[in-house]
Amino acid sequence: MTTHDHDSALLARLRALSSERSVPADGWERLSSRLPPREPPSAPAADGNVVALPMRPRRRWWLPVGAALAASLAVYAVAPWRHAQPGMPAPSALQLQAAAMTEQYQQAVASLPDGRAPEWQPALHELDESAAQIRAALAQDPRAPHLLGQLKRTYALRLELTRQAAYAAESGLAT
Amino acid sequence: MTRTLMSCCVALLLAPSLALADTRIDERHTLAAGGRIELSNVAGKVTVRGWDRNDVQLTGTLSDGLQLRQEKSANRVRWEIEYPRRNGNGGATLVLNVPRSVELLLSTVSASQDISGIDVRRLQADTVSGSLSAAGRSGDSKLNTVSGSVSARLQTPKLDVNTVSGRIEAGGGVSGDIGAQTVSGRVEVDAGRVQRLAVETVSGSIELAAAGLAPGGRINVESVSASVTLSLPRTVSAQLSVNSFSGSINSDAGQVERPRYGPGSHLDTRLGGGDGDIRIQSHSGSVQVRLDR
Repeated sequence: MTTHDHDSALLARLRALSSERSVPADGWERLSSRLPPREPPSAPAADGNVVALPMRPRRRWWLPVGAALAASLAVYAVAPWRHAQPGMPAPSALQLQAAAMTEQYQQAVASLPDGRAPEWQPALHELDESAAQIRAALAQDPRAPHLLGQLKRTYALRLELTRQAAYAAESGLAT
Repeated sequence: MTRTLMSCCVALLLAPSLALADTRIDERHTLAAGGRIELSNVAGKVTVRGWDRNDVQLTGTLSDGLQLRQEKSANRVRWEIEYPRRNGNGGATLVLNVPRSVELLLSTVSASQDISGIDVRRLQADTVSGSLSAAGRSGDSKLNTVSGSVSARLQTPKLDVNTVSGRIEAGGGVSGDIGAQTVSGRVEVDAGRVQRLAVETVSGSIELAAAGLAPGGRINVESVSASVTLSLPRTVSAQLSVNSFSGSINSDAGQVERPRYGPGSHLDTRLGGGDGDIRIQSHSGSVQVRLDR
């Protein structure tokens, strides 16, 4: 039997089939009984009129874009705070200002002579403690502008009194 | 021989007391109307009294080694007590009598200042650890201490008081424009009708009362950990705003609101016509607003 003979026989059999076939009434039952059992759904069944959609394979096109965006944001936001511990929230604008102000204040106060005039010492100590208290409050509430104002006032007063104490000690004004 | 020896002993005993004798001073100067009086001293006491004369007088005693330095002109007199480099002998006790309508500038370190009966155009008094008490009338008053307490019983339309740890007590007719700032010192103000009342502290408690708020007047209070109490008449017309991060808020008017998530509480309400502005901010101190003045 040649290939041509084989094809002619197949065509003859196909032509012999009826042109229309009706679906049997118990077709779905017979089919479903042959299907393997379905796995239970992983998510809990939704209440009400919410319909659980079948799981679809997720497209992962956003992964490289998201990774690039996250990397650029990390460089932008975290780089100035290299010493910040991982997991710490990003500092607020007020905290950044307070940190800059504290640094400037520390430089300024370090440049002043150490005044030992006794009348000023309790106040200088009080101001240092108050500044620490304000900084702690600002760490708790980083969006309170009045705390930044208080810190600024405290540093300004500390600098002014340090100058006064130094002048008094130098000129013999202290008792 | 015995008599000579005794005389020598008496002389030796008297010598130090003679050497440490106080110096009395009595200075006068006629000053043009509205002129300026400046007095500077380190230790001791300064008493200032107003009088109905045109000249200014400075009297008192200076401890040994102290000297009075003075500069005088028609419009100005400046007295300064000069101290030797290493002074441990005490200070100066001074009494200053001042005419009306002058400018009065006082500066001390540990010397206390007691001012009363004055009627001046401007008063500025500074001290470090000395206490400061001022009573009378003044067109403009500025009182500063570091650790010394301040008591101001002044009829003045403008008062500005600053301390670090010193307590501030102001009343006796103070009204108009009032500012008080401390770091840890307590603040008590009992004012008349105010146009501006601004009080700041870190940890000193604040107790304020005002007889009224001028149209468009403002009250602004800021504290870190200090408690704040404000008493006003029920008829006051202002927008009241109170914010606290962790302190409690208690008010005769308005409703305290807290965010659904996170700390903090605030109150915003309208008192009367809502004409002026009252703003109180505290980090952890409690805030109380009473309308019972």
